[in-house]
Amino acid sequence: MAINLLIVDDSSVMRSMIVKALRMSGIDLGAIHQAGNGKEGLDRLDEHGIDLAIVDINMPVMNGEEMIDCMRSRSDTSQIPVIVISTEGSEARIERLKEKGARFIHKPFTPERIRDVINELVGRQNA
Amino acid sequence: MRHVVGVGDMKIGRAGDILVTHGLGSCLGLMIYDPVVKVGGMLHAMLPLSSINPQKAESNPFMFVDTGVPLLFQELYTLGGEKNRMVVKAVGCSQPADKNELFKIGERNYTILRKLLWKNSILLAAEDIGGTISRTVFFEISSGRTVIASNGNERLL
Repeated sequence: MAINLLIVDDSSVMRSMIVKALRMSGIDLGAIHQAGNGKEGLDRLDEHGIDLAIVDINMPVMNGEEMIDCMRSRSDTSQIPVIVISTEGSEARIERLKEKGARFIHKPFTPERIRDVINELVGRQNA
Repeated sequence: MRHVVGVGDMKIGRAGDILVTHGLGSCLGLMIYDPVVKVGGMLHAMLPLSSINPQKAESNPFMFVDTGVPLLFQELYTLGGEKNRMVVKAVGCSQPADKNELFKIGERNYTILRKLLWKNSILLAAEDIGGTISRTVFFEISSGRTVIASNGNERLL
């Protein structure tokens, strides 16, 4: 089944790279929505049915961690799987994100890594 | 038949052939295999960019990652290989404790490979990259089986 994705990153170049990696991965993709910060990301979640969110951490207006907190506090978005793709180096923060149910991928990332993590998450949801 | 791929070299094989390259340190070893037509090739490239010595790249494009990788693909296309079937594996790009370490040759070889793969929307099926070890690779064209030997151990890639 095609999955509908949301990519949240303040860099349009990075969003394009993630889209390309997704298209290379062979994953059955539905709609790919994009947002430039956490607040816009929450708006996209309100507007569309999203199966999985790929989120950066360091963004203006609302960062990725705040966005994940909002998602987890809302019944309609609390179960949406989240992948964080970031240059974040703080182990404490990465652990905190994992405790919130997010998977973490370091930048620079490879398309193989994104494919593997998505397949794992989607497989787990379908199990 | 067994073919040895030297440093700055590339060889193509068909079913029954085994391609071998020895002493992959900072160099890139790239293996590409089409399981349908059963053709494959192995590249052993030394340096990342041909712009450092265009004359050398003209006489031996397989010495460089940016010229050797596209040529390896092209050779396989001429033998009936198709991009969407190709299984691509990368080995090497380590950082041996010698003069190459200073210039980060292994790391740069891998970066250029990754750029080429991104540009052409190609995923790696497997890789064994980095570290400080030297590797020998055996690539069986009949099956695509790739075995790496290093420090007296063998493992399947």
